[in-house]
Amino acid sequence: MPTSNGSGIEAIVAKLLVPVAAASGAIVFVGFFFRDFVGEAVTGQGWVAISLLFFGSGLGYLAVLPYRIDDDDDPSRGYLLRVRRTNLTATLREFAGNQDPLTMGVPATVFAAFLLLQAAFPTRTSAVVGDVADTVLLVGGPLFLAAILLAVCYCAFLLLGPWGDIKLGDPETEPAYTYPTYFTLVFTAGIAAGLVFWGPAEALFHYRTPPPYFGAQPGSAAAAGDALVYTLFHWGVSAWSAYAVIGVPIAYFVYCRGAPLRVATLLTPFLGVDGLDSVWGRLVDTLAVFATIGGIATSVALVSQQFLAGVAFKWDVAVGTAGPLVFVGGLTLIFVLSGATGIHRGIRRIAGVNIVLFGLFALLLVALGPRQYVAEQGVSALGRYAVHFVPLSLHTGGQWVADSTIWNWSWWFSWAPFAGLFVAALSRGRRVRTVVFTTVVATSAATVVWFLLLGGTTLFVQQRGEADVLGAIAARGGSEAVAGFPLLAALPLSELLVFLFLALIVVFITTSADTSTLVVAILATKRGLAPTTGSIVFWGVFQGTVAVAVLLVGGAETLQALAVLTGGPFAVISLIGIAGLTRSWLQEERGHTSLVVRAFRRLPTVQTHHDIDPPKED
Amino acid sequence: MADASDERTEPALEEVFYPVDRIPFVEWGAFTGGKSTVLLVGAVTILSFLTGLSNLSQSMPAMDGPLSVFLSLPAGVVQFGGVLFAFVLSAVTVGLQQRKVVAFRAALVLLPALAMLPLTTLQTTDIPLLLGITVTYPLLLRNRAQFDQSVDFSPLQIASLSAIGGVGLYGTVGAYALRSEFTGDPLTWSDAVYFVIVTIATVGYGDFAPTTARARWFALSIILFGTGAFTVAIGALVGPVIESRMATAFGIMTASELTLLEDHVVVLGYGGMTDSLLEELDDETEPIVVTDDADAAAMLDDAGLNVLTGDPTDEAVLSDARIGSARGVVVGSDDDAQDVLAILAARSRNPDVRIVAAATEAKHVTKFETVGADEVVNPRSIGGTLLGRSVLDGSAPDTNLSDLDTSGEPRK
Repeated sequence: MPTSNGSGIEAIVAKLLVPVAAASGAIVFVGFFFRDFVGEAVTGQGWVAISLLFFGSGLGYLAVLPYRIDDDDDPSRGYLLRVRRTNLTATLREFAGNQDPLTMGVPATVFAAFLLLQAAFPTRTSAVVGDVADTVLLVGGPLFLAAILLAVCYCAFLLLGPWGDIKLGDPETEPAYTYPTYFTLVFTAGIAAGLVFWGPAEALFHYRTPPPYFGAQPGSAAAAGDALVYTLFHWGVSAWSAYAVIGVPIAYFVYCRGAPLRVATLLTPFLGVDGLDSVWGRLVDTLAVFATIGGIATSVALVSQQFLAGVAFKWDVAVGTAGPLVFVGGLTLIFVLSGATGIHRGIRRIAGVNIVLFGLFALLLVALGPRQYVAEQGVSALGRYAVHFVPLSLHTGGQWVADSTIWNWSWWFSWAPFAGLFVAALSRGRRVRTVVFTTVVATSAATVVWFLLLGGTTLFVQQRGEADVLGAIAARGGSEAVAGFPLLAALPLSELLVFLFLALIVVFITTSADTSTLVVAILATKRGLAPTTGSIVFWGVFQGTVAVAVLLVGGAETLQALAVLTGGPFAVISLIGIAGLTRSWLQEERGHTSLVVRAFRRLPTVQTHHDIDPPKED
Repeated sequence: MADASDERTEPALEEVFYPVDRIPFVEWGAFTGGKSTVLLVGAVTILSFLTGLSNLSQSMPAMDGPLSVFLSLPAGVVQFGGVLFAFVLSAVTVGLQQRKVVAFRAALVLLPALAMLPLTTLQTTDIPLLLGITVTYPLLLRNRAQFDQSVDFSPLQIASLSAIGGVGLYGTVGAYALRSEFTGDPLTWSDAVYFVIVTIATVGYGDFAPTTARARWFALSIILFGTGAFTVAIGALVGPVIESRMATAFGIMTASELTLLEDHVVVLGYGGMTDSLLEELDDETEPIVVTDDADAAAMLDDAGLNVLTGDPTDEAVLSDARIGSARGVVVGSDDDAQDVLAILAARSRNPDVRIVAAATEAKHVTKFETVGADEVVNPRSIGGTLLGRSVLDGSAPDTNLSDLDTSGEPRK
């Protein structure tokens, strides 16, 4: 198992983390409870650093805890002996032997080439990539819109139609993940810290620059309602459907046809299980690795910058250029630990922490925020979202849509290979209906509630003039990173909320990055082999390195644009996947009944009972 | 075609995504038991102390909470409440750890009372305490059945405690009755309480002193009886603790240690297999060995295992080992006759518990089953079977274990 050969290091890491967490935790607690006494002794910068150290080491320790407290013999001693005996070159050769040269080599080369170009000609590279991205998004807009709308329709069909009954795996297979675990893992992996940053910012941006579809006056009350509708549209069912249409076909072919767990499995109906090793299959896998690393690494880099920008705004502390590097380094350590300890330990536990913090923050916001306004606006926004869903999905209104909607869809599609593969990996023993319900309905319900709460509260605060969030954003060069802070400052218990907000950012990016590390390690390992701990650590560190490199060289946005552009191919691949799956199921999965038919069958019997019974009694 | 790829893919997928059969969100069982409840109450105690200290460090407590509208607690209560509650709660935590009913009832009352403080002030620093209470309270209610031990005071303890109470009452009422015969007269009720406690504790600040002969006689009576009762009570309460410390030192578990056992495995008797059995059990659960062999008991106790020195066929001893809440019983001494009696005793104390026994003689297996063992193993026949298989297959004996029919449930 991937964790066993690393257990020695884990024990050592745990021993190192405990004192770090305890010491920083003690300082944080003292600072928290006795701020009047010790607040002055440590600078704001120091507090942020110590809190992060505490939170990070706590998460790391959580990851390395053993799954069941049963292997209590000290493995670190054996490990130290092994270190002395192990030959470094042999280890490296074994590692290289397990890697797929194409899926590993091509993305690494592309990233190196990009960084070189970016370092040599920063402006020209950014300009070229920016132009390409603009053109692709503008020209390819209809394709993205069609792919997303088709994905939503297909998901609705799977949910209600006969194929929802198909079980992924043998009829007697039981799901290994309990439903709460399943939902938590899917939700936290599929969405990163963007949810936290854009929660307050997205609706506000649409309020400032209203979407042309509705055409309201900027800053008007109507614009506020429209802004919420568009926010729901961007983060609702459409977005999550992209994951489901990649995940469901992979899961079906893996569990019902014995195909390997990789993205190319989508092409099974056309290539056959053995044909997945062909050029096309490996090309898809390579592209998936590139998209995943590009997406995650740039997210890590951008989130670090945003996090520190927010901190700098809130406490007026300068972090310098080294700040983001240290932050990314710490983050990489946590998500490598989490990914390497495996899905049942690090990934599951940090995801659990994530969902608990998420729920706690939402509850606090309900308790402390403008409930009535949010409820009224929320209900009306939900209603209008439903009514305008199809027109919005088909609306190709020029530059605004290309910059926001299409960019957004492409971004979700670029994450779809890794999130979809992860969904597929977790779904053994579940029905297609459950998978679609979880990936699309449950997750989007969570995001919708989140955006209504945060977006609604922000609009309320902005409209009533309790805080000038837009002014703060403008003062910081239009960065969405600062939007949360003036908002939370306007609420009671603002400091607690701010710390929860920052913790959420860290934990959301961790839960995505650890999963992506695992997925990339699987894709880059030769078919049929489980990734070794070494390879998981390698890919985690690789993502961290790319993040550090783009921070050093600059051009995080440019690389993100490149990664987002891979959403285009995956939109096409998702269409191919849908077509292939439909063809296979039309041929082989007949005899299932849809929910609609079942409901219909039940209806008349209920009615006839009512019709027949009363006359009899008379 | 599917078969070929199946073989290669399945292990990889299994290893990464299906390392165990079932992956729950949280192992609720591990976090919702009696031990976690006690730990949480302890955590609430510490949080209450820290929050109280934090409130104390502020010159003027802010009252922004929702409760401050309905209820105006005096500033003193708000400031000192948290710390005082923490002291009481720490005693309650100790009581809960010993599974006392009284401590459970006290916690039921104290926690909501404590929650009123953060609800009144509702500063950022109060939130952890509030969260702690909201998590702890349902857990406390859920585990109420576990706190079933009554407090057994010895007659001396009862006598000395009621003497202190009596003297306190007598002193307070008396001092109030003689309120005009003290310096600083007239004494109020709180002055009277203060005077009595200061006197009994032999502190005697002297800010309230008797001025008449009658009041002096009265004060002397309080000093004599009160201080006497106070001293005796301390001896009566502390003495047993020291005794039990000494008892632990000699390899016998004390009553309070035994009450902590739950979901454990009781091993009745010490025999040739016991050491390897304990090695296997120790990873998984908390075993307790009941044996009347003093040497074996001393050796096991040195090895850090739970030992109860007593006759494993004695039902009272089995009750002490909390067989009622045990997960299973293993009977495996080298004396089959004693084992039969031990199975009978265990079965009569807990009809539902799973009893696994090892019969030294093969002919005794059915007898063990007749008297109530769920599973009977004959180590010699297993050993023989394994040796036989090993010499024929050429495999290591361990690999044969899984399909042995005589061993019941061998390994996971």
